[in-house]
Amino acid sequence: MAGSALRRLMAEYKQLTLNPPEGILAGPINEENFFEWEALITGPEGTCFEGGIFPAKLIFPPDYPLSPPKMQFICEMFHPNIYADGRVCISILHAPGDDPMGYESSAERWSPVQSVEKILLSVVSMLAEPNDESGANVDAAKMWREDREQFNKIAERLVRRTLGLPPP
Amino acid sequence: MKAVLATVISLALTTVVIGNAYYQKKQFYPSIVYLTNSNPSMAVMYLQAFILVLLVGKLLRKIFFGQLRPAEFEHLIERSWYAITETCLAFTVFRDDFNPKFIALFTLLLFLKAFHWLAEDRVDYMERSPVIGWIFHVRILTLLMLLAQADTYFIHHAYQFTASKGPSVQLVFGFEYSILIIMIVNILIKYILHAIDSRWEAPWESKAAVLLYTELAINFLKVLLYIGFVAVMVRIYTLPLFAFRPMYETMRSFKKAYNDVVLSRRAIRNMNTLYPDATPVELAAADNECIICREEMHSGAKKLPCNHIFHAACLRLWFQRQQTCPTCRLNVLRAPAPEPAAAPQPAAGVGGAPAAAPAPPAAHPAAHPAPPTGPPQGTTVPPPFPNMPPPPPIMAWGVPPPPPPRPASLAHLTVAELQRLEGTERRNIEARLQLLREIQAMLDASVLLMQQYSSVVNNLPINNASIGTQTDVSEKREGRQVKTEPDVVPTTSTHKQPSPAPSTSNATNEDEVYPDSSTSESNLNSQRDKTDANAEELRRRRLQKFTIEK
Ligand SMILES: [Zn+2]
Ligand SMILES: [Zn+2]
Repeated sequence: MAGSALRRLMAEYKQLTLNPPEGILAGPINEENFFEWEALITGPEGTCFEGGIFPAKLIFPPDYPLSPPKMQFICEMFHPNIYADGRVCISILHAPGDDPMGYESSAERWSPVQSVEKILLSVVSMLAEPNDESGANVDAAKMWREDREQFNKIAERLVRRTLGLPPP
Repeated sequence: MKAVLATVISLALTTVVIGNAYYQKKQFYPSIVYLTNSNPSMAVMYLQAFILVLLVGKLLRKIFFGQLRPAEFEHLIERSWYAITETCLAFTVFRDDFNPKFIALFTLLLFLKAFHWLAEDRVDYMERSPVIGWIFHVRILTLLMLLAQADTYFIHHAYQFTASKGPSVQLVFGFEYSILIIMIVNILIKYILHAIDSRWEAPWESKAAVLLYTELAINFLKVLLYIGFVAVMVRIYTLPLFAFRPMYETMRSFKKAYNDVVLSRRAIRNMNTLYPDATPVELAAADNECIICREEMHSGAKKLPCNHIFHAACLRLWFQRQQTCPTCRLNVLRAPAPEPAAAPQPAAGVGGAPAAAPAPPAAHPAAHPAPPTGPPQGTTVPPPFPNMPPPPPIMAWGVPPPPPPRPASLAHLTVAELQRLEGTERRNIEARLQLLREIQAMLDASVLLMQQYSSVVNNLPINNASIGTQTDVSEKREGRQVKTEPDVVPTTSTHKQPSPAPSTSNATNEDEVYPDSSTSESNLNSQRDKTDANAEELRRRRLQKFTIEK
């Protein structure tokens, strides 16, 4: 079992290195442990996160791909679907059955068909279009709904921080 | 750095306090008495003890685990937090026994618990680490042995204490250490399984199943223990609130393990007995790749009712989590078993039936085949739905209510249960009868229409083209404008001006049939246009979604 998880992760790593999707970089932190990856995600163009480079880590379970990995941003984030500690809450990262938010249909849930690439692309589209029904960060969801200008300001500050620039 | 500072400060404080006591009393026993009677001194001593415990913990951790991984550390912190909260809750129940010994025992319990958690995480990690040296085995085995000894000692102690002096806080300790020793057994089983697995070159397929059964048995034991503990506590003290969260979690995982075992057994049995092996052609159509493991499929691949193909071994593992198709999420327990080529059409009929139900049968052209192009074959009725697209796999299959799982024997059921069972059975049968009736009506309607077609086509060989679809007509109009097809022009004109007196016996037949079939034709066309537009829209959206996702 361990072997197959490892082989699949290696295959995905190879695939991601050969055909990297735009704006995404991902791979094991340390080649001795293929179950912990680091990813760099570029903020999607035309959104308030544009230009930012957001680091995140992915922790894979030993029975991957039967169970989904966990994903956590390791930079400060302010987003309706990201917990204060950086954990990402999107449906693709949950198996049907465990239902932290209770609104997602099983169609978008985790299954072995999904992959690291699909997860990261979903996260990019999540950055572009937050789902403000999810309560991962209630403050962010409220601000996204009611005070978009302030939200954009905070996002801009975060973007500048990820680039190592001083706040405007 | 902070830890070192704290250690140094507490050491200095302790030295000062003890030095002060000794300086004042000059002798050993009076100093002790002085220390224990002075609250500030005792606070410093407690702090020192706490830091000593932490230091010992660090030392032991270094010995048995080396460097902790960040995930392990996080997990440890999280669980400690829960454990401390629950310990505080437990204090409220046993306020009467509150004394330093009591606190020391609880600290020891927490301390040992932490090592159990770490051992569990470390053994889970075995599956993921590529190389495991002998030192890992020595560490884990020694640790497990020591922990098991500590657990048995404390259980024994709690038992003797309770037996001789009646119920006390020792009940909680006895219970907690029993849970811990079950945990040790669980860790040990996992360790042995992983160790065997890592020795083998080939993947060990039944390991997951063994793990599942272990999980079920361990959780069952834990649930029993929790129930017993709560019952005893309620009888002697009060509701043990501090045990509720772990109890709830244990029950939930027990239920999950139970469901997993039952449902996965059923799904795997289905797979072994009902689903066909994929043929080489089908394998080639799926690019030979198994979407679960992303490796090539050569043999041992199974085809699910939805026609998706996977390694049988991969499917077995997946079915232990969920009983759905990984690609399209068809619930394999609810899907009808595929009958190998014997009766695919009735199956398609069931799929199409719900769509047909609302429309009156005669005016239901969707299930109707396109106008026959080849020479008509007399009164032969073509298969009812030759161009019926296979129903979308998620939809429609669930329409007949799935039969409830039938108990093996009816003898042990009560009368009320039997009646309920009878009721559901009856509803199911009624629903099925209704579906069959609808299918029958549809079949009748299509047979009727087919007969009309064949008679029209038979009797009017010249007018063959005029019974074409509307698109045919418009094409013909274009044809007349361009004047390229002289053949068509006259037929179109006959269509436009129906012959005033075709005195053959066919005429009545034609007059009867013609308007009817043409309306149903136009009906069919408009419907097809609509479904085409819908499908187009759907495809467009899917494409859009896909490109967004991609
Ligand atoms: Zn496979
Ligand atoms: Zn499928």
